[in-house]
Amino acid sequence: MEDRFKYGVSLYSFTEDFGSVMSIEEGFDHIADTGATGIEILGETHVTGYPTPDKAWLDRWFGLLDRTGLEPTNMCSWVDTKLRLGQSLSADEGVAELTRDLTLAHQLGFKFLRPKFGVISADLDPDPIWAPAVERVLDLAHKLDIVICPEIHSPTPINHPVVHGYIDFIEHTGTKNFALLIDTGIFQDRPLKSWVHEVPEGDSDHAKLINGMKVNPEELVGIAPYIAFIQAKFHHIDDNLHDENIPWEKVIPVLKRIGYTGYLSSEYEGVREPWVAIDQVRRQHVLLRRLEAACGAVHA
Amino acid sequence: MYEFQLIQSTGFRNHGPEGARDGVEVRLRLPNYRGMRLSLLDGIDVTLDGEFFSHEVTSLILGGAVYDLAAMRDATTVRWAMGEHASVLVPKPGGLLPGIHHVKVAALVRSPYFPPHLQPLAVNGERLATIVLP
Repeated sequence: MEDRFKYGVSLYSFTEDFGSVMSIEEGFDHIADTGATGIEILGETHVTGYPTPDKAWLDRWFGLLDRTGLEPTNMCSWVDTKLRLGQSLSADEGVAELTRDLTLAHQLGFKFLRPKFGVISADLDPDPIWAPAVERVLDLAHKLDIVICPEIHSPTPINHPVVHGYIDFIEHTGTKNFALLIDTGIFQDRPLKSWVHEVPEGDSDHAKLINGMKVNPEELVGIAPYIAFIQAKFHHIDDNLHDENIPWEKVIPVLKRIGYTGYLSSEYEGVREPWVAIDQVRRQHVLLRRLEAACGAVHA
Repeated sequence: MYEFQLIQSTGFRNHGPEGARDGVEVRLRLPNYRGMRLSLLDGIDVTLDGEFFSHEVTSLILGGAVYDLAAMRDATTVRWAMGEHASVLVPKPGGLLPGIHHVKVAALVRSPYFPPHLQPLAVNGERLATIVLP
């Protein structure tokens, strides 16, 4: 059993429901009913009173973990380097942002923290403060037993200077508390049919984001030792249990082959309507579990 | 809990003393999927029945305090939390008559992780909404 994937769900999947037609209690219940064992959250979205929730909220949080048996997996955070117009955050301020979220993530029981740094270019190069800021919180992350995970997310592919920079950082520091998070949106190989994204039409990245980056899943092999967490991004699974955008039948065998045994944490990002995501996530879990079982059958 | 739409039904009302209204309040849900510090919001454009009010003249009422555009840009420690309402205060002497009105808003949100040329991006809402009291 130890060589199996772990299945989780990000509450981000329920973005169109949460706060208007779904409470956190209901979110927990929908996730637990898929058979998942892990819950992923966005600190600024799902923690009432972020970054310092009160005792009543903390009691509620731990009560929900107890009742559902879910374990906290990854907490997403942001380092808002452009918090001010015209003056970016200093590395010191970046350290303060990371410290705030490491502390909260630890308090809530998370093992992974995904900080999203502001960028400085159309190619989405992260603000260069990321390296000194992360380096200065590695001891804290080690003490709190948290792995800090930058997210490899469309339109940044696997073979890219940004990813090389993260890997160089891991090698240079020798740290076990910084590793890659892969968002499976990079493998998207067919266009999105109904999608209203934040990026306006005509933008240079628009075609890439609509049509997909088509990264070859085989590229995971080259970065296997550095992968700590996977956000199983998807957009639509049809009534025949067929994913219209992400080639899971190619992704899952590669993940099995490289021996990945971490989380596949569902991240639904489809039509911007309430009441869609709950069943989409259930469909994805059936699809992923079937593919994993099929790999096992082949190997046996 | 929020109403699903960006522009909330409840909270759409005239502002100021009855008989001497000086504006209109348009209540919004958080125009983002994550709570954010107020300095990441670069103002909110509002159009009431075709009359345009720029983000440079509207202000925001959040947690009992009123922020004009300059105050918003300075508010690096104030959070607009998920679940919290805020109202755009539109300077419209006399307010609006009771009845159904066409309301449009564009909240200008800066997301530092977006490419620089997409900051800010407008988060848009448009609907018919009802003023009850004069």
